[in-house]
Amino acid sequence: MSRQDGDIGALAGGTVRQELGDAERQELFSREALPYVDQLYSAALRYTRNPADAEDLVQEAFLKAYAAFHQFEPGTNLRAWLYRILTNAYINRYRKEQRRPSEVSADAWAARVTEDGGGDFSLYDRIAETTERSAEVEALSHLTDEEVKRALADLPEQFRMAVYLADVEGFSYAEIADIMGTPIGTVMSRLHRGRAALQRALYSYAVERGLVAPTESVTEAATGSQTR
Amino acid sequence: MTDQCGTPRPPEEFDPSAVARPMLDSCREVLEELDLFLDNECGDDLAASVRRHLGHCPPCMDRADFERALRELIASKCRDAAPSGLVDRIIDSLKPASPPA
Repeated sequence: MSRQDGDIGALAGGTVRQELGDAERQELFSREALPYVDQLYSAALRYTRNPADAEDLVQEAFLKAYAAFHQFEPGTNLRAWLYRILTNAYINRYRKEQRRPSEVSADAWAARVTEDGGGDFSLYDRIAETTERSAEVEALSHLTDEEVKRALADLPEQFRMAVYLADVEGFSYAEIADIMGTPIGTVMSRLHRGRAALQRALYSYAVERGLVAPTESVTEAATGSQTR
Repeated sequence: MTDQCGTPRPPEEFDPSAVARPMLDSCREVLEELDLFLDNECGDDLAASVRRHLGHCPPCMDRADFERALRELIASKCRDAAPSGLVDRIIDSLKPASPPA
């Protein structure tokens, strides 16, 4: 059975694990959960957009996961479970520290930054106009990690999280719905709009860097990404 | 508004057998399902229809390849390693407040 899937069902049953001593429990948790620390840190950094906050958040998430480890159902996905705890910790912390942007303002944002107000933007359509077939992705591969991270960081929280969980972590819609505590339809809508806005931002960066030739509407696209 | 495929498709690129069979025979229909398809979130029948269309429609295939490659590109550029010492701090924090002597 693959460790990648976070399946520890074969290792200890729920009732057994509750009876584990502190040392054994800690050993099991460290062995199974700690390998995800880089992934969770990446996610935390995308959520908080700040290394110190991300580190605090990951530490808090692991503590909470350890405290709730007896509730984890063996045979289910440990990685998704850890992400749910991390995401909850982030949302709770964010709610306490500052008011979270409302769904309404996020929707208004999505309508504003995407072309037709309906949340659509196709990077492919822009690039295919001026770039040879098959060279489209090659052109974008010259964007730096920092540029791609910044484009993602500029998305409002709900969109940023959905896009990150789907496109970077490869979670299914159902897993993302569970992790974020939202209906699947909401996940799909956030994903659609978030990806469109991300593509728009990447397009602006690519044009600024001269990686792709601008089309006539680029000025408007670049402006859209700057007025947040 | 241009055709959703971006590039007009010459009629000779159509495979008549493909046009007759699939549930999804227009580029527009396929593109509406493309995200679901690329996310592995559509059923087997729909996936088969999309795949069949892509096999006969180079412009749609090019777009699908682009979207897939773009996701991989984004994923490859958004990874960070946890700072050194974080794992040790987590392990320390898991220990009971008053460890046995």
